[in-house]
Order: sequence, then C-alpha cells, then structure tokens
Amino acid sequence: MTQTTHAGVRGSAPDPGGAPRRPRRKGGLVRALAPLPWIGPATGLILFVVIWPVIAMFQTSREHYSSLGVLVGSAGWNNFTRLFDEADLGGVVVRTVVWVVAVVGATVLISLGVAQLFNKEFPGRRFARWALIAPWAASVVMTSIIFKWMLDPNNGVVYVLLKQLGLVKNFNTNDTNWLGDPTTAFWCAVFVAVFVSIPFTTYALLAGLQAVPSDVYEAAKLDGANPLRTYWSVTLPLLRPALLVAALINVMNVFNSFPIIWELSGGGPGSQSATTTIFMYQLKQSSIGEAAAMSVVNFGFIIVIVLLFLRASKWNSAED
Amino acid sequence: MALTACSSSGSKSSGSSSSGNVTLKLLAPDYGTPGGPDSSQKYWQGIVDDFHKANPTITVQVQIVAWTNWDQVATQLQNKQYPDILLGDAPQELAASNLLYPLTDVMSASTISNLIPVFAKQEETDGVAYGAPFTTSSRALFYNKKLFAAAKIASPPKTWADIQTDAAKIKALGNGTIGYGLPLGPEEAQAEAYLWMLGNGGGYVDSSGKYDINSANNIETFNFLTSMVKAGDTEPSPATVNRTKDIWAGFADGTVGMAGGSGALIPSITKAGKLTKDDYGVVTMPGKTGPLTQALAVHDDITAFKSGGHAAQIKQFLDFAYADKYQIQFDNEYSLLPATTSASQSLSASDPVAAGFLATVPNAVVYPTNSNWDTLKSKIQQTIGTAAQGTDPSKVLGALQTFATANN
Repeated sequence: MTQTTHAGVRGSAPDPGGAPRRPRRKGGLVRALAPLPWIGPATGLILFVVIWPVIAMFQTSREHYSSLGVLVGSAGWNNFTRLFDEADLGGVVVRTVVWVVAVVGATVLISLGVAQLFNKEFPGRRFARWALIAPWAASVVMTSIIFKWMLDPNNGVVYVLLKQLGLVKNFNTNDTNWLGDPTTAFWCAVFVAVFVSIPFTTYALLAGLQAVPSDVYEAAKLDGANPLRTYWSVTLPLLRPALLVAALINVMNVFNSFPIIWELSGGGPGSQSATTTIFMYQLKQSSIGEAAAMSVVNFGFIIVIVLLFLRASKWNSAED
Repeated sequence: MALTACSSSGSKSSGSSSSGNVTLKLLAPDYGTPGGPDSSQKYWQGIVDDFHKANPTITVQVQIVAWTNWDQVATQLQNKQYPDILLGDAPQELAASNLLYPLTDVMSASTISNLIPVFAKQEETDGVAYGAPFTTSSRALFYNKKLFAAAKIASPPKTWADIQTDAAKIKALGNGTIGYGLPLGPEEAQAEAYLWMLGNGGGYVDSSGKYDINSANNIETFNFLTSMVKAGDTEPSPATVNRTKDIWAGFADGTVGMAGGSGALIPSITKAGKLTKDDYGVVTMPGKTGPLTQALAVHDDITAFKSGGHAAQIKQFLDFAYADKYQIQFDNEYSLLPATTSASQSLSASDPVAAGFLATVPNAVVYPTNSNWDTLKSKIQQTIGTAAQGTDPSKVLGALQTFATANN
C-alpha cells in the first residue's frame, strides 16, 4: 500500500516495481515478486473476468454446439464461413455503422447545446441539472420498455395522442406500427439511445466548459470577436479533450448497446432492425458457435475503437 | 433437504447407489405462472412426494424453468450439468449426441404401449425411441362470435377466401379490431406457418421425409399471407408479433376476430373475463379449398439422461408419473391434452372441449423428426415471418431450405 501511494505521489515513476522503499534483501527473485501481493488480486481478477472469457469465446467460435447446447465436436472455421454467408450480415453491419454514427452524432450535437445552456446562470438551473440525470439514472431496459408501451400498436399513448389530433385513423393498422416496420423501429431505437446518452455527454461537456478560464473570453471580447467566432475559435478548441472523451466513450457504449433495440423490436422483423450485437444474440438461438464467431468479429471492432481511443487520448495529452 | 442433496451428489459421482438411496434430478418447464398457484412446481412436487412415499429410497428433485428462460437449459447442458429426466423438446438432437437412454431402458413395456401411437412414433431415431411424449395439444381455429355477429358474418370460415373476406369485415368494425391474428414472431412462428402450409398441401418435409421448405406450394402460401397482411386483414407486421402475449391475449380481450389456438388458449380467455363460453367458437383450421383434413398436433417430451446411471430408478418414477391420474391432473390444470391412450379415453368422456381436440389426434400431422429439427426450428422462428411481410417468400424459404440441408 505504502509503495503504491508512494509511486502515485511521485506520479512519474515509470517502473513502480523498481521504486524501492524496503531495503534490498535476498537476491532478485524475492525482489521481483515483492509487488505480487499488491498487484496479484487485480491481475487475478483481470485474468478471470477479462482474459478467460475472451479465450473461451475464441474456443467456442471454433466448436460445433447443437441448438440444445450439446458439444458435437470441432467446427474448424465453419462457424465463420456460415456467419459470412448469412444473407442478413451485410445489412446488419451497415446498420451498425449508421446506428453508431447517428446516435453519437446526434447525442454530441444536442449535448453541446444543453451543456452551453447549463453553463449559464438561470432560475431553476439546479433543478434542470438534476432532472437531466433521470434518463441516465433509470435502467435502460426500463426506459426502453416504457417507450415500447408508449408505441403499443393497440393503445400506445403516442398513438392515442396522434389519434386525438386526427393524424392516426385506427389502432392496430400500419399507422400505429412504428415498432413493427424495420425502418421506423430503427429510428425509434436511435431516438431512445440518444435520449439515454445525452445526460452523460452533457455532464462531460459541462465539466469541460467549466474548466475554460474566463480570461480567454475577456481576451476574445477585447479583440472584438463576435459570439459565434468566440465559440468556434475559443470554446470549441478548449473543449476538445472533453469532446473527444465523451464521443469515444459513447461510441463504445452505443456499439455494444443491446437492451434498446432488443426491447423495442427484438431486432425484427427477422434481423431487419438488428445491429451486430443483437444479431449475435439472434444467432445464439440456433447456433452458439456461430454466435461466438459473431462475438469474435465484434471483439475485433471493439479493439479497433479502443486503439483509436488510445491514440486520440495520447494526441490529446500531447497537445495539452 | 440440503443434506439429501449433498449425499446424492456424492453417490452420483461414484456412479451407483451403494447406500441404496438415490436422488433423481427432474428438469421441467413451467406451463403455468412461475411462482403462481398454477406453477408446474406444484404439480411435479405433488407427484414426487407421492412417489417418495411409495419408494422411500428414491428422492426426486424438481427444478422448474420458465419457458421464457428456457435458454438456461441449453447453458446447463453446455456445461454438462445433465438432469436425469428432462421434459422439453424432441429427443433426436440429444440422442444423436448419445446422451439418452433408449426408452425401453427407462419405461416399462406396458407404459410404452399406452402412449398415443402418432406421438410415440415421433420419438424414434433409426427405429429406436429415445423419449416419450408427456403432454400434447392440437390446433384449431378460434373465432369470436360477438365480432362475427357485429360484422354480420353468418358462419365460421371454411376456406382461405372465407378467412380473407371475414377478416376484412371484422377489421372494418374499427376500434383497433384485428381480423385474423397471425403470430409469425419468434415465439412459435413454426406452428403458425405450418398451419397455413398444410392448408395448401405443403409442409416442412416431402412424403419421403426430406426437407422441402421452398416448395412451390409453400411459396404460394406465403404469397397469400403477404396479400392478407398488405390488405390489412391481419395485424400489421406479423413477423414481430408473438402468439401468447400478443395474439392470444388480444383474442382473450375480444379485439382479435380469428386466431389459431390450442386448448391452452382457453384459460387465458377465462382469465381475461371478456368473453364467455358462448362468445367464441372452435372449428377446424381452414385450408385453401376447405378445412384441413388433418390437424396439427404438437407434443413435449420426456427424455432420460444416461450420465447419472439411474435407469432402474428412472423407470420406476416414469411408470409412476404416467398414471392416468397425473396425466389428467396436468390437462385439467393447463387445458392441454394427455399423451396416453387410457388418459385420453377417460378425459374424452368427461370433458367435451378436450374431446373435440382429442378426436383429431390419432390422424394428426406432427413436426418433422429429422435430427436437426430443433436447430432449424430456431431459425424458422427468427426468419419465416419476414416472408409474409415484404421480403420475397422464395428468398426466405430458400434460405431456410439451404440452412436445413446444410446443417443436416
């Protein structure tokens, strides 16, 4: 404990194992093992909950399981061939890209505005800030189910309203079928995903805005910059670190998001509103191995996103 | 309880029962409401307790899994946590993995000969049965007499054309009424699709038992369904609509004019309290040119796993549990049908509704028994609905045919 805090305080020690506080005793081995009691549990935990499942996933993707879960034998690369032969896969991948871009894009744009608003003094600001936490604090499954009920073709409250406004003629028809039609179901899911992503993004950006020193704005004012110019040339560049972190965390979250689409449409009809995560789960019903192959592909996507994230944050700190 | 559980796992690992006490594990789905008064936990616990009284050296542990969590069973099997007795899907896939006892090892000849032949035949792999039907049901068309009267329809439909015109009239009543409820969503699409395929002389397999999913007849059937969906004679987007929660609940609520159903729909109707016994009728499912000559009947099966090595005890238990008394108790509880001839006879005598359904059983059509049927069934449930909702039926059915033959 003392050792780690010590290293933490110094903050720069590149090799914490080599930061000796205790006197050197018996040879190199003991010294090399000395940090083990401290880092052992964390390493063990990572091995157990991260590395082992990854290995199991790769193994499963090369095995042939019956739909009842019985291991039939090795499948070689068959699960992958079958996955890439799925007629729906192309649409699913394209949809996943649209899903991530649309949700993260809309979330960041809206959050930029909301954060700007929340950075200004106005009566009831405290209450408004609290209220924004609600979609974040509520379980995503719960939120999705409520939206599903609101869009129930037989008596969803949204359709009841539209019917009273004369925009919908009758229940249980195509007018009240937003969740049954793949296109509208997908965009409803995008809406819900933006709705639940805005709070975190807004707060991340708000923290960034509050960190902008007021003197740069005074300088901009003295130089005669108009508000738009100030926002573009002063606020946005200084907000970049927060913006980048918020966007990349959202990309990972949204890519992996399962409950929203699953609750709203189940990825259906067929797989016509599914993203890769949903598709993986749908495949699991008939072939655990093929679902694992899909997971491996998803894992590849995630690795790419993480590498981008690491690179961006390095770039971030280098520019700071 | 905990003590017996411990000792049993000890004796299990040694492969036999040196102490003379054996514990069997029974895994079954919940046909009622989990935790509710009609939970299957109660039903099985009753049998198990009676059995233990008669056979003090054998204890049966009951594990009930909700149908909605049935995936959990696949996980259990994947982790090699085999029960001794499983109530659930057809035995072929498990038998192909060499996990099951042949039925003759775990059930006496007299019990076997009492099983309804059309279902018993379904349990075979290469002529050997590896399971036994436990509960069955057969499908028919339910129609709402109130809506029929309101739409001025004189008699229940006999042909597809009748369904189409009646559905249009019922839909025209407004208020969100649905003419024909077509559940082609993932829950049980394979049954609804089969009901319609049968009406046009189609099905999943040809007369020689080979998959024939994209036959001309089946494609024609789905073209017809697509036209019904387009015209608004059904609910919109049937591929996302499920049987129990959507269509049967809607029928019980009085908003669905016609729907395919089994006896299991009757308790929901009673529970909802909107329709009385006289407000709905049950007729044979219409086909393209006339009512189906053979009803679709489905069954859930008992299978026994070899891993525990308790064939003799399983035999004692199954012979006990297949008594008429328990079969009929199950059917009264869940409005399903028995799997034994003797129980059918006594139920037919006492229950006219069940008798109507039972009359169709000996001549019924059943699902294929190909060893990959369970895998294919999951795929059908996921995709076949799109063939009635805009995607070209020949494409959807063609993909299923390819899947069926490639994974054989």
